[in-house]
Amino acid sequence: MSVRKGIAIALVTAMAALVGCRNDAPETQEGGSGVKFDVGVTSEPCPGAVDAAKGCIYLGSISDLTEGPFKALGVPITEAQKAFWKRVNKAGGIGDFEVDVTKFVKDNKYNPQTHNEVYAEIKPDVLGLAQTLGSPTTAAILGDLKSSNVVSVPASWTSAWAFEDVILESGTNYCFESMNSVDFGAETLKAKTVAAVHFPGDYGDDAAAGTKLAAEANGMTFTDIPTAPGQENQGAAVQKLLAAKPDLVIVSTGPTEAATIVGGAAQNGFKGQFIGTSPTWNAALLKSPAAPALTALYRQSGPWAPYGTDTPGHKALAGALDQAMFKAAPNDGYTAGWVWSYPMKAALQKAVDSKDLTRAGLLAAVKSLETVDYEGMLPAEAGKFGGTPDERVFRSSIISKVDPSAPTGVKVEKDFFTGKTAEKYQFTKPCYQ
Amino acid sequence: MNEFVATVVRGLGNGSIYALLALGFVIVYKSMRVISFAQPAFMMAGALLVSYFVLSMNFFLAVVVALLLTALLGAGVERLALRPMIGKPVFVIAIITLGVDIVVRTVVNAFIGLDIRQMGDPWGLQQVDVLGVKVDQRHLATLVTTLIVVAALFAFYRWSRTGLAMRAASSDQEVALAQGVSVGRVFSLSWALAAALAGLAGVFLSTGIGLEQNLWLTALKALPVIILGGLDSLGGAVVAGLSIGVVEALVGSYGGDLHPIFGGDFFLVVPYLLMLLVLLVRPYGLFGTKEVERI
Repeated sequence: MSVRKGIAIALVTAMAALVGCRNDAPETQEGGSGVKFDVGVTSEPCPGAVDAAKGCIYLGSISDLTEGPFKALGVPITEAQKAFWKRVNKAGGIGDFEVDVTKFVKDNKYNPQTHNEVYAEIKPDVLGLAQTLGSPTTAAILGDLKSSNVVSVPASWTSAWAFEDVILESGTNYCFESMNSVDFGAETLKAKTVAAVHFPGDYGDDAAAGTKLAAEANGMTFTDIPTAPGQENQGAAVQKLLAAKPDLVIVSTGPTEAATIVGGAAQNGFKGQFIGTSPTWNAALLKSPAAPALTALYRQSGPWAPYGTDTPGHKALAGALDQAMFKAAPNDGYTAGWVWSYPMKAALQKAVDSKDLTRAGLLAAVKSLETVDYEGMLPAEAGKFGGTPDERVFRSSIISKVDPSAPTGVKVEKDFFTGKTAEKYQFTKPCYQ
Repeated sequence: MNEFVATVVRGLGNGSIYALLALGFVIVYKSMRVISFAQPAFMMAGALLVSYFVLSMNFFLAVVVALLLTALLGAGVERLALRPMIGKPVFVIAIITLGVDIVVRTVVNAFIGLDIRQMGDPWGLQQVDVLGVKVDQRHLATLVTTLIVVAALFAFYRWSRTGLAMRAASSDQEVALAQGVSVGRVFSLSWALAAALAGLAGVFLSTGIGLEQNLWLTALKALPVIILGGLDSLGGAVVAGLSIGVVEALVGSYGGDLHPIFGGDFFLVVPYLLMLLVLLVRPYGLFGTKEVERI
């Protein structure tokens, strides 16, 4: 072996050793109060700590912040989570620790590869993820989340998350939400036929699968109308709706696509009713030419009530946010970011109470959660994370009606309910698979 | 039958938008031999300006002012970012246009914000009865405007001195220079025209529901259009744009009736399939100039 080769090998070995030193499994330490911790927790205070005597729990956040398609949700979710944990810290933190969600915030641009890269970057420094936005992006890191016990809060509602222990989802998923919407349509709107207009993928396909299951359970005729993103691409979907003439349409697209479909169908005399899954709504649509059609024909389903609803949690959210940031239009991304944070808070509290704030300790705390206090935004039983997916999945959703005077343009019409289809459904695999 | 005609008109409406975008790509390519990836940014900038101007002026006046400013932006980008790169490999210049696109779109996105901006256009989602067929007014408006713009553009290239200078520079820059044509001015004008055409496409694309940040993705549909029509053919861009719009609409509406595999969002693949099929037979596109190479 030449000297040069030898030096090269020695350098590579040294680098590998250095990288190894900065791995994500450092020695377990113990804080003053006897709480042991390893990754992403320090005895030193958080940046900008309320109480400098407390240690810091670092949670990462990977969201769509600049140029991805879900920026309109990612930005408010991230802001709401910052406000949530600030409130927690002001109220005394979690045991002898405060929580920081500001230091390790990364932009995934809704690109799975970027998501993976920024995750690898922050993984050695965080205990868990306060947010991992998107289903395909989260799928890109899921294997590592599981193998490294990184408890993560998803910013998406696919039914696949119920099958992953490390994923700390809140509220029902697209599949059950759509089942409930169809049951609502059959009972309240007396619908006999239903269509699902949806994007492909684990968002739209999940909702369409729930729609189909509920249609079968209710003996309704079902029409499947997949469509693609883009306002200019909705003409075919409108034409198919006009041909099928369903009494009820479950829409799982983006907001502009939904408005193009509802407005376009109404222009052609379509009389059926529409119910959109949570990501289809944006209050700004009420300023568009589709506003009359939306007001007349559209309802909004959701895993929880919209911004401005009268619950302690909603009030706390409104009080914690800097009102100046959304003077133009409050957005339910804020509501989602806030609600999603409650189970992480409960799990951290339980882990600290058990004196084990290691990644494994936090995962064990998650699995032991039977209820979570969502301050009225969700029933406490929605925070059950133990047992099989069928036992723990939360099956209730709400239906809202368009109300231009409401902060986000929709107001609850039917509070949390579980339709007969969702009630009886044996949840053994993600609906869309 | 009525449904079929309505589908074709919808396809022509969307195809007009693709044609406007493709014309911009072709104009820049003809002058600089570079594919400008900055077109999506100009498309968004034009639409954004209209969405702000309509708050204080008539829609049509807003469109004129916005397109003039977008043209100015295009010329400015060429002068500041592209002109110093003349003589560098075209690949490098193309990458710079990508950078321009990201920078301009980031600024535009900041002004669009998280919501949907309204264009204040007179058509909205309204329909009109044409010989018993209900068609969207905005699709008709897009088609008619595109035809007028294309006619004006062709007349400009055919009969105006500047148009002749642009054609000369496109054929051979050195000879054009020797004949007193300011090639630098041709470059600026090309970028200004391309930017204004993209801006006009953005305006029509945003009529209906409104302008949002994700709309820029539509501009990418112009890429198979320019390859199909021929990179250096203005006529090709128009024919290919309209054809792809119509075929896309027809496959979207009736593809699933032929076979389930052609249903759903299969129509999104159609422009690329068409492009591949045509390239197999005509490697320079439908109307592209065949390059003569010495072996």
